[in-house]
Amino acid sequence: MRRAIFSIFSVCLCSLFAQRNLIPTDSPAVEAGRQIYMGACSGCHGATGEGSQGPSLLSGRASRLPDRTLLNSIQNGLPGTSMPNFPMGSEKINQVAAFVRSLTAPAITTQPAGDVERGKRYFFGAGKCSTCHMILGQGGHPGPDLSNIGSERTSGQILESIMKPSARIAEGYRGVVAALKSGPTIQGVAKNHNNYSVQILDKDGRLHLLNREEIAKLELMDASLMPSTSDAAEARHLVAFLARQSTRMKEGALSK
Amino acid sequence: MRFALVFCIPLFAAAQVTPEAIANSPNAEWLTYHGDYSARRHSSLKQITPDNAKSLVAKWVFHIDGAKKLEASPIVHRGLMYISNTNEIYALDARNGRKVWHYSAKNAKGTRVNRGSAILGDKVYFVTADCHLIALNRSTGNLIFDVTYASFDAGYTTSIAPLAIRNGILVGVAGGGSGQRGFVAALHPDTGKEVWRFWTVPGKGEIGSETWGGFPAEMGGAPTWTTGSYDPQLNLVYWPTGNPWPDFYGGRRPGDNLYSDCVLALDAATGKLKWHFQFTPHDVWDWDANENPVLLDAVFRGKPRKLLVQANRNGFYYILDRETGEFLHAKPFVTKLDWTSGLDDRGRPKVIPEKIPTPAGTKVCPSVRGASNWMSPSYNPATGLFYVVALEQCDMIVASAKEPVASSGFRGTGNEGIPTEPGRFFLRALDVLNGEIKWQYPMPGPGVMWAGTVSTAGGVVFTGDDDGNLVAVDAKTGKDLWHFSTGHSLFASPVTYMLDGKQYVTIAAESDVFTFGLFQGN
Ligand code: HEC
Ligand code: HEC
Repeated sequence: MRRAIFSIFSVCLCSLFAQRNLIPTDSPAVEAGRQIYMGACSGCHGATGEGSQGPSLLSGRASRLPDRTLLNSIQNGLPGTSMPNFPMGSEKINQVAAFVRSLTAPAITTQPAGDVERGKRYFFGAGKCSTCHMILGQGGHPGPDLSNIGSERTSGQILESIMKPSARIAEGYRGVVAALKSGPTIQGVAKNHNNYSVQILDKDGRLHLLNREEIAKLELMDASLMPSTSDAAEARHLVAFLARQSTRMKEGALSK
Repeated sequence: MRFALVFCIPLFAAAQVTPEAIANSPNAEWLTYHGDYSARRHSSLKQITPDNAKSLVAKWVFHIDGAKKLEASPIVHRGLMYISNTNEIYALDARNGRKVWHYSAKNAKGTRVNRGSAILGDKVYFVTADCHLIALNRSTGNLIFDVTYASFDAGYTTSIAPLAIRNGILVGVAGGGSGQRGFVAALHPDTGKEVWRFWTVPGKGEIGSETWGGFPAEMGGAPTWTTGSYDPQLNLVYWPTGNPWPDFYGGRRPGDNLYSDCVLALDAATGKLKWHFQFTPHDVWDWDANENPVLLDAVFRGKPRKLLVQANRNGFYYILDRETGEFLHAKPFVTKLDWTSGLDDRGRPKVIPEKIPTPAGTKVCPSVRGASNWMSPSYNPATGLFYVVALEQCDMIVASAKEPVASSGFRGTGNEGIPTEPGRFFLRALDVLNGEIKWQYPMPGPGVMWAGTVSTAGGVVFTGDDDGNLVAVDAKTGKDLWHFSTGHSLFASPVTYMLDGKQYVTIAAESDVFTFGLFQGN
């Protein structure tokens, strides 16, 4: 019985998948689409799809459209609204749709352009990223594990984390300083905290499970502990490298 | 200051979890699904006693978003509690239930429940429903490796709490109900690479294959879906196996169907079979032998012996010599038992032919759920009692002949409860050396629970009951001492641990983890 439900379910999944297959996912198409988007769409939907006069393409209805609806909406516009039609030929429509999809797709599925090897060298070398982050057990603390980041975040989110770390602080990684009544000060990230306890991971990977009563002063930071990267070229290679960090490559590609 | 000392300084020492520490638990810590390697689930803690158990109070509850049926026994080590659910695991601050980290294998396929994790060195291990073993750093939850050990697409799934021994993380698979070939595998603790694998259905031409009448090994079942036990001195792993497939129709698999419904003694270094004992040869009632194989040493009939005991789904409590596999004794621990006229002196049942399921339906006792099942029993050496949740129930089993096709949903047909004879659960205390029932604690309810027990040196046994209560009873007498209604049905066994000098008891219930301790006045 359970099997039967499962196979019906997988049939649905397959047809859904076939449906969604109308839009290309290869990086040349996404890149071509980006060019079109920046000229034709970013004025109303924002440079990263965050929305302005037009709605955000990152969340809500516009992020969940089936392939055919997305293509139709771009080609024909939405009559009665300020969303214009774009009679620009199906190849270009496909490309811009590919870019719109890439805004919400896990980075692993969009394979962003950049030199992966160079990104890797920078990550474990000059960029010092691996002093705070681990990939499959290689690296340090207290930053989030990046072994599966390509499946968990979009390329845009990864880029933002690198260039503007404080724009969004990953859950459980807010910087914290706790001065204990007994003397020592503990620094790291607050894995969790409330009025009664705080759980801190320090840069040596040690956990400190503390009651608030033992703490003289607790300071939670608004800015990320992570230094920002301003070199756009290195950032691009880093994104290319990190986008490919996924524990389950094939399944990752199917899951969205 | 006290906490700084208790928690920070030991963590600075960053000691590794060793097999020796596991063998010496459960004490303040709970280090395997069973608490230790012996599967006795007997903790040395004695702060909670029959005198003070009535002042147990809830200390914290942790809700797991989306969880429907938590079945895990958590692991507790150095102030952290590891609790797993389908394809995910949480590390909690064990004093207050605050989340420290969470790892979710979001792309994992399959939705099977999860029964828990394992800990060794600096890592914690758990499996996903699609048979990946995942290793995480136990402090940070950082991923160390994620390896596949069986193919989900070929029909394999799993729910097992792995068992961590020195040279391997031991894992198994489900599949007794859908026609996969069972195995136990040891995967390297640092890399996940396979160290050995023992197939529970012998391949063509191998010893034991003659017990299948030519039925394909690939579909034989004999799954390994519960956690075994381990004797570090003998260096033997004891792993129980499930039913042969198809569950209820044996016509295509004439013979004993080795190694289904067995306990296997495997060399921990090589995975080679030392001995096996089969509880239910040629099973047509779905009586997996996956109940915990409990290891203990005792003087048996005047001779000190290394024993293995099990309260089997088929209704008998068995005592075996765990060095040799010799059958020593068995006794029914339920009254509803009608499929056999008894066991011979080697422990082989004499099956009553009328109890073999037919297309018209056959009433059989115990039920398919069994006289007991994977809910954990426990054993207290001080009382000499073995505490087991028993189910008094019969079923109608219908069997039909059909060409078996793996993963087709076919199980040889199936079973139904008898509406006028609902099942009843009891917590029973058996004399560990002869299986006699010394006391019992009836547990009225809807007949849905799968909760087990934990025994403590304080003389209190904790068990889940069929009405959603965590219950404390007196280990000597079975007298009811305390209970707490979780408001959920229970599908897990409780554990106990100690932090800052306070003993806690934890049980997972559907979507929440409940932790109790003695009232402290604050
Ligand atoms: C003049 C402003 C404007 C421009 C330029 C524009 N849009 Fe829109 N777009 C909108 C507005 C407004 C809506 C919301 C319409 C409504 O549903 O009310 C919208 C809706 C959408 C939707 C959701 C469609 C649906 O079916 O709900 C998508 C997708 C979209 N736009 C993509 C694009 C793309 C791609 C481009 C460039 C090729 C683009 N838009 C250019 C204003 C604009
Ligand atoms: C001093 C330690 C430190 C260094 C060095 C560091 N990071 Fe981070 N990183 C963090 C912390 C802490 C966070 C979590 C807080 C946040 O989201 O900003 C983080 C977050 C991130 C995230 C977002 C993770 C998520 O789950 O969304 C990415 C991606 C990332 N870092 C990449 C990098 C890269 C690439 C480098 C090297 C250029 C780097 N980091 C260097 C500490 C560091």
